[in-house]
Amino acid sequence: MALPNKVLPGFVASLYMEPGGNPTPLTTAQLATQANVSAIAIAANLLEVEAIPAFGQEDAMANFSVAGSRQSDKIPVQSAPFSLSFIHAWTPSNTNLLLVRADAYSGLIDRTYVIAFVEGANIVYFAFNARASQFSIDPAPGAEVQCTFTLHPRGNQFGWSNNV
Amino acid sequence: MGQNSAAVYAQAIQTALQSVVTPTPVYASFNRNFASEPTFLTWTLRNVHQPVYTGAQSNKGIDRPVCQTNVYAQTMATCFAQAQLVLDALHGYQGLLGGLFYVAKIDVEWLFNTFDNDNKLHQIVLDMTFDIPS
Repeated sequence: MALPNKVLPGFVASLYMEPGGNPTPLTTAQLATQANVSAIAIAANLLEVEAIPAFGQEDAMANFSVAGSRQSDKIPVQSAPFSLSFIHAWTPSNTNLLLVRADAYSGLIDRTYVIAFVEGANIVYFAFNARASQFSIDPAPGAEVQCTFTLHPRGNQFGWSNNV
Repeated sequence: MGQNSAAVYAQAIQTALQSVVTPTPVYASFNRNFASEPTFLTWTLRNVHQPVYTGAQSNKGIDRPVCQTNVYAQTMATCFAQAQLVLDALHGYQGLLGGLFYVAKIDVEWLFNTFDNDNKLHQIVLDMTFDIPS
């Protein structure tokens, strides 16, 4: 097998979370180790979110003037990871959703999350440690009850791996 | 699960409508042979659809199908009375529909009334939107 050499539809991405009320997040090395990450990416840990939002790195740069030059210089500087906002149908008995809600109330719990892209038998994993926040429930009539939450990834705590 | 069963929806709609307007007959879709009866209802089910979300096949939203109900009667007063029966019983209804599945809300919209000159029947068209938990 090789990494998928094709354009993937966003529908193949799934979000998984480390289980347990008091989790020990993976280390930076483990976040990039497929055996550690795939152990989290199992059906019992699935968060059935509507879609996976954009993830990655925010822009941050400093603008320096260069003496004697017509052009100045933009230098990349320290930038934070993107925060990820998810929409999940609110199922009151969903164990994983209750964990996210508890994390959001706490604000202090670091947990490993995994985004898995599947193409046939090939899986590409992006794992990161994050804290949950902004957990809200919208019970508007005429639609399904949705809960929204935001994951704030911790800086430098991420890893890529795959099952190739 | 792929999708809630449309066949179960259909059975529930038939049972529920029949219980509301009994003894007036209720039929799925329309057949001109029925037009000899002085008063009757027909219904069709459409837009059966649960939105699909990312990842596993089971990841779906609620279903909001529409059941279009046509009330036919030889007199305008009967036609309106029968349509009102359906509105009174089902608009805003929440509960077990036809004894088969739980419906969170039914929204009945009275679309229009008209007259079919060929069949000499007054007709009222109602759209019923069901909110069905998945």
